[in-house]
Amino acid sequence: MATFREDLKGRYAVLGIVILLVLGSLLVRLWSMQVLSGAQYSAQADDNRVREITIDAPRGRILDRNGTPLVENRPALAVSVAPTAKDDPDLLYRLSTLLDMPVAEIEERVSSQREEALRPRVVAVDVSDEVVAYLAEHEAEYPGVEIQTLPVRMYPSGSLAAHVIGYTGEVSEDQLKLPEFQGYALGDIVGKTGAERQFESVLQGDKGYRRIEVDAAGRPRRIIEEAEPIPGSDVLLTIDAEVQSVAEEALLRALADAHADEFPNAAAAAAVALDVRTGEVLAMASYPTYDPEVFLGGISQDDWEALNAKSSEYPLTNRTIMAQYPTASTQKAFTGLAGLEHGVTREWAQYYCPGKWTEMGEQWPKWCWDHGGHGTISFHQGVVESCDTVFYEIGYEFYKQGDEKLQKYFREFGFGSLTGIDLPGEVDGRVPDAQWKTEFNENYPEYQKWLPGDTVNISIGQGDFLATPMQVAAAYAGIANGGAIMRPHVLSEVLDSKGDPVRVAEPQVAIEADVTPANLGVMTRALLDVTESGTGASAFRGFGASVAGKTGTAEVAGKDDYAWFAAFAPAQDPQYAVSVVIEQGGHGGAVAGPAAREILASLLGLPVEHVRAQDISR
Amino acid sequence: MVPTRTRTVTKWVNVPLLVSVALLLLYGSVMVQSATSGMSAGDAMFRRHLLGIGLGLVGMLIAWFVDLSKLKGWLGPLVIFNALLIISPRIPGLGASAKGATSWLEIAGIRLFQPSEPAKFVTIVVMAIVISQYKGRVEQPKDLARILAFLALPLGLILLQPDLGTGMVFVAITAGMLLIGGVRPRWIVAMGLVAAVAVVGVLALDSTLDRAFDRDVALQDYQKNRLLVFIDPSLDPSGAGYNLAQSKIAIGSGELTGKGLGSGTQSNLNFLPERHTDFIFSVLGEELGFLGGVLLLGLYLGLLISALEISASARDLYGSLLAAGLISMWTFQIMVNVGMTIGLMPITGIPLPFMSFGSSFMITNLVGTGMLLSVWARRIGV
Repeated sequence: MATFREDLKGRYAVLGIVILLVLGSLLVRLWSMQVLSGAQYSAQADDNRVREITIDAPRGRILDRNGTPLVENRPALAVSVAPTAKDDPDLLYRLSTLLDMPVAEIEERVSSQREEALRPRVVAVDVSDEVVAYLAEHEAEYPGVEIQTLPVRMYPSGSLAAHVIGYTGEVSEDQLKLPEFQGYALGDIVGKTGAERQFESVLQGDKGYRRIEVDAAGRPRRIIEEAEPIPGSDVLLTIDAEVQSVAEEALLRALADAHADEFPNAAAAAAVALDVRTGEVLAMASYPTYDPEVFLGGISQDDWEALNAKSSEYPLTNRTIMAQYPTASTQKAFTGLAGLEHGVTREWAQYYCPGKWTEMGEQWPKWCWDHGGHGTISFHQGVVESCDTVFYEIGYEFYKQGDEKLQKYFREFGFGSLTGIDLPGEVDGRVPDAQWKTEFNENYPEYQKWLPGDTVNISIGQGDFLATPMQVAAAYAGIANGGAIMRPHVLSEVLDSKGDPVRVAEPQVAIEADVTPANLGVMTRALLDVTESGTGASAFRGFGASVAGKTGTAEVAGKDDYAWFAAFAPAQDPQYAVSVVIEQGGHGGAVAGPAAREILASLLGLPVEHVRAQDISR
Repeated sequence: MVPTRTRTVTKWVNVPLLVSVALLLLYGSVMVQSATSGMSAGDAMFRRHLLGIGLGLVGMLIAWFVDLSKLKGWLGPLVIFNALLIISPRIPGLGASAKGATSWLEIAGIRLFQPSEPAKFVTIVVMAIVISQYKGRVEQPKDLARILAFLALPLGLILLQPDLGTGMVFVAITAGMLLIGGVRPRWIVAMGLVAAVAVVGVLALDSTLDRAFDRDVALQDYQKNRLLVFIDPSLDPSGAGYNLAQSKIAIGSGELTGKGLGSGTQSNLNFLPERHTDFIFSVLGEELGFLGGVLLLGLYLGLLISALEISASARDLYGSLLAAGLISMWTFQIMVNVGMTIGLMPITGIPLPFMSFGSSFMITNLVGTGMLLSVWARRIGV
């Protein structure tokens, strides 16, 4: 029976070799996968099961100097949708009907690549109770749709101080490239303007995270590791909500007064109130203003266009630091101080105002606002009555002395440079000089030469001179503070979670102006008489405190006159400085003065009364 | 001379085979327990697995004590029985479908078993009877044609189910038995080439037919997808390619020593599909690593080499062919199952012998073991 066995001996060997080849090749493959490439596969296995979700930290609040909240957080009911829903057009359609939103907008938000893969996309914020109830009842028909509670910004005082606090929005791609925004991710909410932007680093807080293990269906199984978010710090501002509110209302009343005075184009205004000894900003009002609520959950295209239309007068602009104006007669305080310091004039120096001033030649006449002329007039009275001729004389003398002494003196009070306020977007104004004029008219050689009239013009705050309301207020505060101009600031303290200050803003001297106490006394007496008997008297009659101030009426090409008033009070023991500008509002003493009076009354604890005033000076 | 008692034991028992099988059953039970522990009906499944082993051991004892050479005279009835077995799920009132194939025998709503499993060893017996008739010399083409005709009947019927996997097992079984049965090696090589061409041809023809009739005529789409994805896994990573990708991640991430029993993330978090049945090796690779894989392949080597020894020492060619059929069946199933989990083979529904959950399959493997022991107990020189 051994025949077949002998014949087939080699064939058993073949079968044995096949077995060894099969098992051997499996072994080699396993070695290559598990030992040689094991680490890569392990990484893929971790990728499969581990998801990291960041948890946003609540933003810090913004409070006024007395702790009254200007910005808080409130829980908002939001509808969020799982990213997988983008493949379910029927669901998106039904959501669109329910939320009254275009399908395309929902689809765009759901398929946003700007967030982590697993995080539900917020589709609508502040949905109605009806929608919440409906979704709760019909949960099964809306897979992946959830009602979420999100912390969003809340503005308990509405648009009060909107320009100071600013608004928030999603971080932009450009911002993400900056070192300041290291650690931020697309979709994060950051401050875009104002204090929200300026103090972003303390308001933001630290994000938490949660590393979770998920199964194949994406369902979370357990938390591997987590860190709670650390809420952002609260910021205490120097703003006084009450004064701020008075300032904003005063601007509205001033605009109404301007309309009554037949200046119908008055539509924008700004006011600043400073503590002269510390530089603290107590009020900062800009009109028109906006409602920061419109930025919650992303501003709509229509709202954004409305806020940036030419006809809107640009409500997003904080005119106190981002707009620059000719300062007109309010500048005479500094031209006067320059004259006193350089011996060009004295308190009781005598001038003659004929109404039409022709010192630079008959072909270059300049007019005093009082075309009839003030006649013989002292320097002091020139300030009080805002006589242009007195300041033409001083300006012309500075021109003749050369060396641009007037411009240098303006700069000593901070004109032409940033005040350094702790808010974004400040502009620096302009103190024109020969070099500026040459550069400005680079392509027009015939206009490059600095002329006597240029110096004369800037001596009354006209010509090419420009300043922001903040610069004017800070400079008047400098007069009140013995020549030391404090850096204006809105930050008072940064508070920790227990409400204790972790950072306190210290007053800083920005510039020490070169001025003697005696000359400051001369100017203060003149400015006091402005409100006692001069161009500002009408606005301040019966006011319970002594006010050193100056009216101004600026000529702007193609526009109605801009009304100015700048002041500090009390005159003997100055505490506060104020500046007010009403664009196309007419005469400073008539509309800006009463607004300044109301703000000062609020600052000094006096009754806030609205007065109607007359002023025909410039 | 060896002592009498030992002789008595080794007369009946091939110790290396029985030890290999016992260790594989233990190893498989541990892995099935681990794979099913996280499932909702995991405990019940594990009990069913143990029940399958119990029933299989009974089947093994029966096969062991039967003298299989008695079956030689039953060729006709066996062929008919085999055909009935394979088509039984198609008989109204008896069949049940799973995964696109009608492959379960079901009576009064109770699923009994998959008839294609016992059909495997009935086919082995039939082929052994037929091939052994040529006494180790299959040299005439008509002889080969007759042998292949006996394969064609069960193969054709199983492909109609359609159960491509079992059909391929039938082919592998026959190929191994033809090798031992004395067919010219060049014929085997030629048949291999023809088969390869046929597969490609069927795929092409099938697509044409599908287009012509606008429906799945022969091959099901999922079967074609599996083949295509095997060729290029990036074709559909979340569909058919997903299983392959997840299986490879599971095994690769096991690295040298594995993540520990019950700690496989790929398996417990459901990234692995069919982890207790077709992809049990992926669970093993993930949780026990390369060393666990080496242990398994070592046990298989023990099983197959003992079976080869039994084949070589069988009393007659018929017994030798029975053993060769079982060796071919297991080798092919190990190659295809482990191969598919590591991307060497296309994904088919072929389970892993002695390891995968599934009682019909377990009983087949143990009855096969019993058949080997029967051949061994009646070997030459005893």
